[in-house]
Amino acid sequence: MKITVCIGSSCHLKGSRSVVEELQYLIAENNLNDKVELGGTFCMGKCQDGVCVTVDDKFFSVSPETTKEFFEKEVLAKV
Amino acid sequence: MNNLCADIGYRSINHYGEELCGDHVDVVEQDENSMVIVLADGLGSGVKASILSTLTSKIISTMMASGLSIEDCVETIAATLPICTSRGVAYSTFTIIRLVNNREAEIIQYDNPLLILLRDGENYDYPKTEMNIGGKKIYKSVIPLMEDDIFIAMSDGCPHAGIGTAYNFGWKRQDIIEYMKTFYYVGYTAKTLSSILLDEVDRLYGHKPGDDATVCTVRIRKRQPMNMLFGPPSNPDDCNKMMSLFFSKEGKHIICGGTTSSIAAKYLGKPIKPSLEFVDKEIPPIAELEGVDLVTEGVITVNKVVEYARDYLVDNKFYEKWSVGRDGASLICRLLFEEATDINFYVGRAVNPAHQNPDLPINFNIKMNLVTDLSDCLKKMGKRIKVSYF
Repeated sequence: MKITVCIGSSCHLKGSRSVVEELQYLIAENNLNDKVELGGTFCMGKCQDGVCVTVDDKFFSVSPETTKEFFEKEVLAKV
Repeated sequence: MNNLCADIGYRSINHYGEELCGDHVDVVEQDENSMVIVLADGLGSGVKASILSTLTSKIISTMMASGLSIEDCVETIAATLPICTSRGVAYSTFTIIRLVNNREAEIIQYDNPLLILLRDGENYDYPKTEMNIGGKKIYKSVIPLMEDDIFIAMSDGCPHAGIGTAYNFGWKRQDIIEYMKTFYYVGYTAKTLSSILLDEVDRLYGHKPGDDATVCTVRIRKRQPMNMLFGPPSNPDDCNKMMSLFFSKEGKHIICGGTTSSIAAKYLGKPIKPSLEFVDKEIPPIAELEGVDLVTEGVITVNKVVEYARDYLVDNKFYEKWSVGRDGASLICRLLFEEATDINFYVGRAVNPAHQNPDLPINFNIKMNLVTDLSDCLKKMGKRIKVSYF
């Protein structure tokens, strides 16, 4: 599974750094380092919906507050 | 014509409790490759000293730049300077560095601490001729320039640092030379070298300088072109044209902006690999792209660079951050401030629809202003700037 987080200007201002750091933490905590690949990307062209995150090409709009919920529903439940 | 150029940087600290500095540095360009730099130290401190040194440096630099002889300059000063009522003399010491065609330096010194010249990492003891002009003992030297020469001119506030506290007789010239030699090979800019020396002076004074202290550094270096791409072109059909012009230029290549770097990646046919390492919490991470020396995010990073550039021209108090930082903004600063002498900007005027959101503190005008502000600052640092819009 590959999670990609946008680190472009707009998503950065909306908190992509917190999202990345929380995901890094959650992935490590659940020992998923060998199953989940976390990567960054520049602008996905959907800045209005930032922070933009994709999981294997499926698009999600995540915020620092909803990161944990997103991780449990879309990542943890599906690996 | 050779391909050398001069990087000039100076800074002063004031006598403790004074608002004005009694030292003054003036730089006048004669033409692209020749200039006159004067460091003058007025008698005493405060307003009087400030007037004396400003007049002295302005008169000398203007007269020398117009091709008048040193004798004429000194006579004019002696006849012009207001006489101090308490001491009965009109007095300002000075050091003149005149660069001719970036080929040789003519050094004229009157009563300031002797100019230091570092060459190949060592102190270079240059020959001096003594002249007597109007009863004043003046030293003149003509030195052919070599790449990486570092000239350090200072006012007597520098060697006097620490008198009575840290050292009995102040900071000796020889010790200043030893101190500055350690920074010779690092590649710091003239401004940063001046700041490093002056910060140490300030420290030796216990942050309460007993005299105005000024350092003016001149670094002789090779011209170094650099190219920076910022923003996609307003007409998407111009992408290839913009990219081929940008990549055909000599020197290092910097790309700022997510969309912009994706266009470049497509042009180069190489994958772009953004890093997820947040070295600085304010600055978005950089990315890797084969064939490009540095890829960063756009507006936020460049905004920080402009902030550093503005500070560099005044107090240069952030050099400790950008001269070692690993974030995108610091990396750009080192390339533009330290390495580059000639910078070509390729600015795309596309409006990013996502940025035209009133909730976001970025918009098109801010982006264009960033380019103007940055190129203004870089010009003030003595760099040659060319901006092309697409």
